[in-house]
Amino acid sequence: MDGIKLVNVGKYYTVKREQVKVLEDINLDLPANKITVILGRSGCGKTTLLRLVAGLETFEQGEIQATHVKRKAYVFQEDRLMPWLTVRKNITFGLKDKEIDHEKISGIIQMVGLEQFEAAYPVQLSGGMKQRASIARAFAYNPDFIMMDEPFSALDYFTREQMQKELLKIHHKTKCSILFVTHSIDEALILGDKIVILEKGIIKSEYEIEKDHERDLLSDKFVALKKQIMDDLKVV
Amino acid sequence: MKESKSIKTFISVALIVLIWGIVAEMGVVSSYILPSPNKVIESFVKMVKSGEIFEDIYISYIRVLKGFLISTLAAFALAMMRVVFCKASGYYEGIVQFLKNVPPLSLISLLILWFGIGETTKIGIIVLTAFFPIYLNTVKGFTSCDKKLLEVGEIYGYSKVGSFFKIRLPYAMSDILVGMRIGLGYSWRAIISAEMIAASAGLGHMILFAQQMSRTDKVIVGILVIGVVGYITDRLFALVIDKTLKGSEKNGWD
Repeated sequence: MDGIKLVNVGKYYTVKREQVKVLEDINLDLPANKITVILGRSGCGKTTLLRLVAGLETFEQGEIQATHVKRKAYVFQEDRLMPWLTVRKNITFGLKDKEIDHEKISGIIQMVGLEQFEAAYPVQLSGGMKQRASIARAFAYNPDFIMMDEPFSALDYFTREQMQKELLKIHHKTKCSILFVTHSIDEALILGDKIVILEKGIIKSEYEIEKDHERDLLSDKFVALKKQIMDDLKVV
Repeated sequence: MKESKSIKTFISVALIVLIWGIVAEMGVVSSYILPSPNKVIESFVKMVKSGEIFEDIYISYIRVLKGFLISTLAAFALAMMRVVFCKASGYYEGIVQFLKNVPPLSLISLLILWFGIGETTKIGIIVLTAFFPIYLNTVKGFTSCDKKLLEVGEIYGYSKVGSFFKIRLPYAMSDILVGMRIGLGYSWRAIISAEMIAASAGLGHMILFAQQMSRTDKVIVGILVIGVVGYITDRLFALVIDKTLKGSEKNGWD
């Protein structure tokens, strides 16, 4: 399967009759079966880029080639669960009744640690639990392409680490392509096969990391890479 | 919690009846103006035994249900039209807003002229009263739908129709039901006024007839029955809302 290609993409907003550019001349390859991480500070256009790829927003310039992507899932920054559905029904929201494999859904619910809450309504859950349910909804959809917008930022350190591991496990198993947006350099280093640094709507640099079994962020290779990325982001 | 609430209600009701009894007993006002509680209970029992009160309740109730059903369907259809064909609403929105500000009772003389004093006039009054709260709340429910949830439907490949039934409608449900609850209360009020002006049966007519016969005790029985039946209907509807709206926030109506 081919990846997704962004050619010369530009996006502008009009604020008080003045054009504000959000993204400019984005040329980007999202390789198939790989995890691409978009890294950048708040307001650099990460979410907008994701929404363009998802088709949730129109853009003024360029082209996005993604015709072969059939099933795409999106994990939003907020949980966006349907308040009138139980956790289980929310997780199967993207599926038609015939497509639901109950055993598999139970497995996913167990993976996100919500087995005791599958009959609960979102209003009864904590913020982190809701976010986990919304991640489960994306996985349950059997997507060949998942877009994730800072999905783990509402979770505590331990859950976050566990969810990152689960994401990698699912990725290995299903080989789906993932486009992941984050502002955490560590998270980008743990997950990314390709890391794209976005700064003020322009791609500043791209890094590719070889597939390793276990990534040790304290190894010399990753410490050096982190330094370089921090330089790119001008973090003092 | 619930028990203490009903005890409190009981205490306040008992207190009112007690004061009423004392005032009536003291003979400050003539029994024509304020009959004693005993007298009212007596005539209530008599009306129950003869069955006339049930007949009146039944007649008024059927009228309310008919009018309420028609206004719910009409309100829902127009509200949906406003959502599906946004541009069409321009044709009727102004008229709806105009009629909203016309008290239905002011139309009663026209309605009698056009439809006579039969059922159509009374049901017409109910529809004119109950339609607006249902319509306005339904429109609000549909148009205020969270865009973020609609985007979820878009991502997971829902068609416009699918997203209407799976997202817009359930989202609007709480507003629709609240509108229907208000509409039901309004219908109940409207039917009594309509029956007082043009009817030969029903609770409103019963009260007016009792007044003409100088039977204040019967008037009070009528008022109490209206209040109790209206209250029970409202509670039943609240129960339905509670069962339907699982998982949503409490709306502070109970």
